[in-house]
Parts: sequence; C-alpha cells; structure tokens
Amino acid sequence: MAQSVIKLQSSLMREYYKYFSKYARGKTPDKKVAWVTAFTPVEILEALGISYYYPESYAAVIAASEKEQPLLAKSEQCFLCRDCCSYSCCIEGCLELEDGPRGTPPKPDILIATNNQCNTLPDWWNILSARYNVPLIVIDYPGESVPRERAFEYVNAQHTDLIARLEELSGNKFDKDVLANYIDKSSESVYWWKKVAGILPEKAIGATTLFDDISYLITARCDPDTAELYKALYEEAEVLPETDKSLIPLFWLGYPLWYHPDRYLSECLDGFRICGSNYITWWDLDYCGNDVYEKLFSAYNYTFLNLLQETRTERLTELIKTSGAKCAVTLHNKSCKCDFVSAKDIGIPQAELEIDMIDRSFLSVEKAKKQIDLLKETICTQ
Amino acid sequence: MKILSLSGFVPEQICDTVRFTGYPGGNAISHYCGYAAEYISQVLNDASVDGAVFPRSCDSARIIGSYIGKTDKFLYQLPVPARCDQAAVNYFAGEIRAYKEAIEAHYGIEISDIKERIEAVNKRNEAIKKYYEALEDISYSEYLREIHKMLTMPLNEQKIPEPKKAARGGKRVYLIGSFLTYDGITDILENCGLKTVGDDLPESGRIASRPPCDTNGDIYKNISASILSARLSPTQDNFNDILRSDLEEIKAKKVCGVIFITQKYCEPYDYLYSVYEKMLEAEGIKSLKICVSDPEEHKRSELAIEAFADMI
Repeated sequence: MAQSVIKLQSSLMREYYKYFSKYARGKTPDKKVAWVTAFTPVEILEALGISYYYPESYAAVIAASEKEQPLLAKSEQCFLCRDCCSYSCCIEGCLELEDGPRGTPPKPDILIATNNQCNTLPDWWNILSARYNVPLIVIDYPGESVPRERAFEYVNAQHTDLIARLEELSGNKFDKDVLANYIDKSSESVYWWKKVAGILPEKAIGATTLFDDISYLITARCDPDTAELYKALYEEAEVLPETDKSLIPLFWLGYPLWYHPDRYLSECLDGFRICGSNYITWWDLDYCGNDVYEKLFSAYNYTFLNLLQETRTERLTELIKTSGAKCAVTLHNKSCKCDFVSAKDIGIPQAELEIDMIDRSFLSVEKAKKQIDLLKETICTQ
Repeated sequence: MKILSLSGFVPEQICDTVRFTGYPGGNAISHYCGYAAEYISQVLNDASVDGAVFPRSCDSARIIGSYIGKTDKFLYQLPVPARCDQAAVNYFAGEIRAYKEAIEAHYGIEISDIKERIEAVNKRNEAIKKYYEALEDISYSEYLREIHKMLTMPLNEQKIPEPKKAARGGKRVYLIGSFLTYDGITDILENCGLKTVGDDLPESGRIASRPPCDTNGDIYKNISASILSARLSPTQDNFNDILRSDLEEIKAKKVCGVIFITQKYCEPYDYLYSVYEKMLEAEGIKSLKICVSDPEEHKRSELAIEAFADMI
C-alpha cells in the first residue's frame, strides 16, 4: 500500500538528521562521512557506501527556525566577511558555537565541493577543510562554455579520480551496476518532481510547498522514498482545487527566502499568485547518456547556473511561458552572484529586489512593497 | 588588435593583451566586485579596446559575459581549471589552443610565433624574479609601478629596468591580495615607515614564482603547466598550499606584519582571509585587512596603515 506524504517526509527527515548532534545521543555514523555541495554527484557516494550532508541546506533550516542572526554575527567575529555567501556565514557561526536547531552535522571525513552552481562553494569548503583538517576534493565542471567532448574528458577524469579516492576512504569496491541503480533512482525522483512542479500553474498547491519539498530532491535524490514521496504528492495535488485565475500570475525568479514563513514575500503579494519559479527546476538533472559516466557528466556539467547566458535566457523564457506568468519578482541575491543575471531579456515586467536568502535583516520590505505595487500597476494598466 | 585581459591566467605566450589595471568612474553593480565592474565598463565604453579575455575563476568573473555579451568585440572566457593536477594541465592546454584558434578566426590572422613568445615571457619573468628578489634593497612602490606599466605594453616592448638601490629601511611587511589597482597604497606604506619585502600579488610574487616554460614538445601543455605551477591564487581552491608557501616566505623574510588588501565583494580573498588571519594569529604575526571599495577614497586606508605601522 502506498505510504502517505507525511509519513514519507518524516521518514526521509529522520534518516537524514539521525546523526546530527541533537538526535545522535552520542552515536556516530557507521559509514564514512562527506560534506558535499548541492550539485555533487552523490550517486557515486551512495554506490561506495558513504554518508553525506549538505551544509547549504542546513543553513536554510537554520534561517527557517529564525536562528540565523547570532550565527551570522559569530562568523563575522571569526573574520568571515558578511559580504560572503550567507549560507557559509550561517554555517560557520553554527560550527563555531556548536549550535543549531538540530545541533551540528556529524564531523566530515572528507569534503567535496563542486563549482557547477558557483565558485563560492569551493572557497567555503576550503575554510571547512582548514577547520576539520580533512581532505578536500574540488570537482571542476566547465559547463556549457567548453565543447562537450573536451568537457567530458576533463570531468570524467575527475569523476574517475573521485571514485578511486572514495574507494580508498570507504574500503569499499566500486561497482558500476550499483552506481547505475542509484542513477536510475535519482532520475525517477527528478521525473516525479517535475510532475509535481508542473502542476503549480494550474492547482492550488502553493509555492511554499514546492520551496520546502524540493529539499528531498537535494538531500535524498537517490533514495527511492523520494520518488515515492513526489508521486504521492503529485497524486494529492491532482485533486486539489484549481488555482484562483483571477489573481495576477507571477514568476518568482530566484531563491526562496528561507527565513520567511512562506518562503516568499506573501505580505507584499496581495492580488498575485505565484505560478512558477526557476529555483524549483534547478535540480531537474538530466541524466542522459549511454553509460553511467556520460549520465553523470550530463547531469552535473549542465546544471542551470553552469549554462551560458543565452541558454539560461532561453530556458527561463520557456519556463515563464509555460507558467503563464505576466510579470516576475526577480531577486538580486547578495549571496549568489551567479544568479544576478539569470533574468536578462525575459520579456515580462519585473520588480528586482535586493535580497539575501538567509539574512532577514538585508531586505527593506517597505521598499520591496513599493516596487511590487508599481509592478502591479504596470500589469493592471497594460 | 587591443585585447583587454583581466587575469594573470591569460597566456601571454599566445598574443599580446593589455592587462586591465583599473577604469575609474566605471559603472558599479551592487554587491559585485568593483574590479570586474570597472573591467566591464572599459570593455563596453573604451572604443580603443576591440577584445576582452577574462577567466571563469570567481563568481564575478564568471558572469562577465552576461554583461558584455552584446558587443561585437572579441569576447573570450578562458576556462581556467580549479585544479592543478595532470588532468587539469591537459584540459587547460586544450583550452589555450582553443583560445589561440578563436583569436585567429576573429581577427583573421595566423599566430605562428608562440615559441618566440614563450622565450620572451620566460625572459621577462626571469627579470621580474630578479627584481622581486632584490626587494630588500629597492623601493617597493617603484618596483610595482614598473610592473604595472610593463603589463600594459606589448611583450616585445616590456623592459624591466635594473633594480635601483634605494636603501630605505622600515618595519618589514608582506602584502597579499588581488591585483593592486590602486598602487598608490604602496607609497602610503613607505611613507608610514613600512618596508614591503615580499608579496603574493598576481602581478608580482606570483609571476616571479612561475617556472619557465619549455619550448620543446607540446607547447600548449608546457604553457598550461607553467601557468598552473606558479604560486596559487585562491580561485584555484587550495588554500592550504597558499598558507604554507606564504608562511614560509613570511618567516624567511622575518616579516613583522602582513597587509591583506582586498577588493570589496571579492569573495575568494574574503574566504582566504578568514583562515589566513587565524594562521597569522597562531604565529603571533600582526595583520591588517584593507578593503578597497572605492578607488578614489583612500584616506581611511591611510589612517589604518598609519595605526598599523605604529602597532607593529
């Protein structure tokens, strides 16, 4: 019998957080531990029996628990400039104070950072490496700016090297079939997530649900329960009432505001409905290829923020068109320079807000409200 | 042909480029590196510039193409690897070749003097190394000005003068940071009684550390290996190596203070600073961080340097 959405969510969360200091009761993980960035080819880690944790996601949880401010202040005292990515500042404070809503993640045996979303994460992982004095592996993904064949050769050499180093760390032997199985599971999670996200323009599912529930695709995409969860969520969403089409359809372009109870500026969006968001498509990884190596290359080299501006504009334009949005709130996120220019030439009116996805003190809500009111006026007078 | 280059990773062995040293009055972009923003402004507004080559080594540089993509000038983003192993050397070699072919295609020229240029770059770097090794006996500000001037000239016109002895003593300091767009800061250091005896700047200590490039065999691999074997930039994601090599030099040169000069919103150096500062603290070496947000506004830096000079 199919499990319920809540049961699956609880089980996935319990599994992920069981070794965090608040719940571990002194127990340590029975596997080696890696800390990874959000677009790490974790299928390789799964295949080699290594546990992994996502500091970025935990920073989002900290902000959602309204705990980020003292941690940001602490990291600044420890010489990390507040201009840096708030995910990193928040986690540095958390590790320094050994304090967080779920405690701290289990200590890493290895750190793995990728630059397929930004170059900031490998910098941040370098300071984690100094803190824990453990090996750091940086995987360099050239993205779309390098022809596919040359990029594949380079990335594949790094994936092969990663496998060898993780075999050594874990003491486990790499098995290509096991890896293929995890890639299939990830692909299935992506498949069902796309179905769920695709329902946003039509059904009253609410952007908050999608901003929150994408976390499983980030932290547990290889887990079969994730695909199961999204399938269940899709089936529930299908029978929801139609979305209120009398409201102005708006595209949320950028990160969720993790500190906000609704994850977006609901108090400024009277008369609007969010009908689409690019963030909820970032982990729609495309595992295409003839073998496991090519599949991993395709999925992780061509992440959204690793694409050329023209392709990003093309994809965004298509997404916006499909969503039916008439306007967009575009977030100029202090913590993510790579996303600064995603919204070039998208062809609909935009209100561009200066925000930070973690630090609630950054945004002037009053100013944002005025900008959004102006946007509304523009739409209503068109 | 006037290609404006943003980074020391751009292979000068391929063709002449003009090293970007600043473009005051350029458009600012909020929460974005001022150095990169000025570069964007110069590429867009300076009619004498017909090309731009920039790396993909930090978040600001990574999105430069999105800001300047609509000009019909020659634009090239050089994918400098974030690693230094053999796979990275091979990969970067391929990208250097692709860069050469792109220039040939855009300008309708044939580049056939790479070996000669390799020799010229080797000779130039050797001269910089000699100059750098003489820092003990010369004026640092004069040295850096010569380098900045030289980097904007074609390779065959780059002449390194014989270091002139200028026996100015002072409290011994070491500089670290990104390209020093405001080189007047070195005059301030000297006027405050500080003597710069070493640095890890991309235009100085890092060039001086670059091994000569071989002209035999696969020249692209040789160029790649030479560039990637120099002292590391924080954008190459190996802070441990930077800390180790800098500390070695700092200790050998009996430095009593380190000055860390960063651009506002330059994340690689901001992250590096957080561990660098802890390392210096553990070694009992004083440090000062100067963050350059507005190139025109240096009074504050001057006051901070004066206070630091008194402290050490």
